[in-house]
Amino acid sequence: MDTLISNLTILFLLLPPVVGACLVTVLKKKRVIGAITICTASLILIQVLFVVSRIISQKTITAFGNAFYVDSLSAVILLSISVVGFVAAIYSKNYMGRQYDNGTVDDKHIVRYYQGFNVFLLTMLVVPIANNLGVMWVMVEATTLVSVLLIMLYFKENAIEAAWKYLIIATVGLSFALIGTVFFYYANINTNPSEDAMNWTGMVHNAKLFDPNLVKIAFVFILVGFGTKAGLAPMHTWLPDAHSEAPTPVSAVLSGVLLNCAFYGIIRFHIVSSVAIGPGFSNQLLIILAVVSIVIAAASIYFQKDMKRMLAYSSVEHMGLISLGIGFGGLLGIYGAILQIINHALAKPLMFFASGTISQKYDAKAMSKITGIIKVMPITGILFLIGGLALVGMPPFNIFVSEFMILSSGFKSGQFVAVSIVILFLVVTFAVFLRHLIKMIFGDPSSEMKKSEMGKLAILPMAILGSLVVILGIYIPVQLQTLIQNASTVISNGGFA
Amino acid sequence: MDTIQFDILTISGAILLIATFGIVATRGFMDWLNAYRYQSIVLSGVTAIIGYVTGIWEIYIAAGLTLVIKSIIIPKVLTYVTRKLEIEFKLETNPYVSIRASVIISALLVALSYFLIQQIPFKSDQIVNAYLPVSMAQFFIGLFVLVNRRTVLSQVVGLLIIENGLFLFAMALTHGVSLLIEIGIFVDILVGILISSILLFRISRTFDSLDVGKLENLRDD
Repeated sequence: MDTLISNLTILFLLLPPVVGACLVTVLKKKRVIGAITICTASLILIQVLFVVSRIISQKTITAFGNAFYVDSLSAVILLSISVVGFVAAIYSKNYMGRQYDNGTVDDKHIVRYYQGFNVFLLTMLVVPIANNLGVMWVMVEATTLVSVLLIMLYFKENAIEAAWKYLIIATVGLSFALIGTVFFYYANINTNPSEDAMNWTGMVHNAKLFDPNLVKIAFVFILVGFGTKAGLAPMHTWLPDAHSEAPTPVSAVLSGVLLNCAFYGIIRFHIVSSVAIGPGFSNQLLIILAVVSIVIAAASIYFQKDMKRMLAYSSVEHMGLISLGIGFGGLLGIYGAILQIINHALAKPLMFFASGTISQKYDAKAMSKITGIIKVMPITGILFLIGGLALVGMPPFNIFVSEFMILSSGFKSGQFVAVSIVILFLVVTFAVFLRHLIKMIFGDPSSEMKKSEMGKLAILPMAILGSLVVILGIYIPVQLQTLIQNASTVISNGGFA
Repeated sequence: MDTIQFDILTISGAILLIATFGIVATRGFMDWLNAYRYQSIVLSGVTAIIGYVTGIWEIYIAAGLTLVIKSIIIPKVLTYVTRKLEIEFKLETNPYVSIRASVIISALLVALSYFLIQQIPFKSDQIVNAYLPVSMAQFFIGLFVLVNRRTVLSQVVGLLIIENGLFLFAMALTHGVSLLIEIGIFVDILVGILISSILLFRISRTFDSLDVGKLENLRDD
């Protein structure tokens, strides 16, 4: 009975995007397919909330034999996918409608867009629940392919260039991850050749017997591989191009969620490697990559002229912070990192939505051409300001809380050098980002701009995210706290909640 | 018996390396494609040998899939999408490192991969000894082709070499990671090749060139 419920739970999680993609393909009417996608995204959200409530009470769900394994860590990622997917689906309707009206896209593109969006959600949903690490790799690669299709929706030169770079760099990067996965598998079948040797649960179970040298080599490959996809510097070079050239709702999903999915892969192998050889080795590597990411992101934000590229570099910075929290370890650091995953997944899409609306209004992406947002579009301007302040870590917004936890865990674990470098460059980012933000939001708009918002369906998703950003800065609900607590235990305690 | 088996393993590994060098040493797209087809046929033979030595029947299926997908379907698809491209797009006239130097670099990469594999603590196993360095060499040479060549087409070929190396790596080290996952990987490659051919076509249309050096609009300045 219990297995039946578990199987159905997973089935109903994956069914909506499949049905949605099929319906979009069959119906093809511009008005209907947007609504269908909103339906599928909300069904996914409801189902994920159900999964999360079950995970809080019983900690793990195993379904279809051993094929799917959901624990608190997967639930956190699922939560971020479903929330961002939901708001992005709402935002898409307005955004793609406007793109259609100015003739940027035609009917065929819109159908392709919504098909891609549904399949994209499906591939991302499988990543955190697949127990088999090979399947996880296949699905991460599938997310690359689908998102490349979404980026090259436009025939613009820049979009094609970005799609090409993304395809090549991410595929080559992920081939490193596959080598790492095979190494871990080899280490496992050497000690215990069994049916579930490729499963994460089986790996964690035997990890103590792994050959330490093999684990070290394997983890380096994993970190380079999934790190490329997660946007950790110096493998991040595709990220600003791809995230700035994609259609805005897709940028939001790429930045807010897809990076988390890739980082989830690193965390899973980090757990295996911590059980096998102790956390010291992987922690040190994570901290190094994190510091490099934060430094490079700060430098790039400093010289940035394009609004969406600036946001993309801010994603590199935040992935660095997440990696830093995991690397510092301790319950505080890991808790902070997981909270940061959620917070970033709320604040970054908010900023992308706002910037998409703004650049549609101003017909520009260069920050120098955008002034006086608050006078032209008051609501969007305020939400843009909230998102921006949250991203730089200003209290009382949500990211302040998680950044504070991560940095204090660094002092606690005695990593003074890393923490001081990070704080220095966070201050640089803070100042530069705020300067760009204030220039765009305040100041006088050029005279021909008319004061008007861009439609309710554009405001609604931003308002949802904006209120979550404010609320989570002040108060984290008990259920969410338990979930994050359990997920941190999974990481620090070798896979057991 | 054992020495004969060892000879077969070594010789087939060597043939595979020669096929990889065929890609490094040529300039025209059709030549690469032929070399790739030849390489994939050898790879499928090598896979079948691994299947024979280990006695796992699933590996024969993987060998068959390799033969069908990599030596028939992918070359057909690439020939089809590039048939309309002008001939000068298909010639690698100006790689960053000359062809002669790249053959020497590739030879060094082969030596490097033999050296690296010796550093890693593997259980001694004839298949691992024979094929693992070859697969690593393919991986490195693929990476080298990818960064050295300037036309978009040769980057696709570089990706394909890397992927063949990965396939052999997984086969040689773990005797296949289970058929289901291999089929997933095959599907990923096929879709990836389809997408990159659509992109190829668009790049040639919008940029009127297939030179990667032309793809530099997006920068931070």
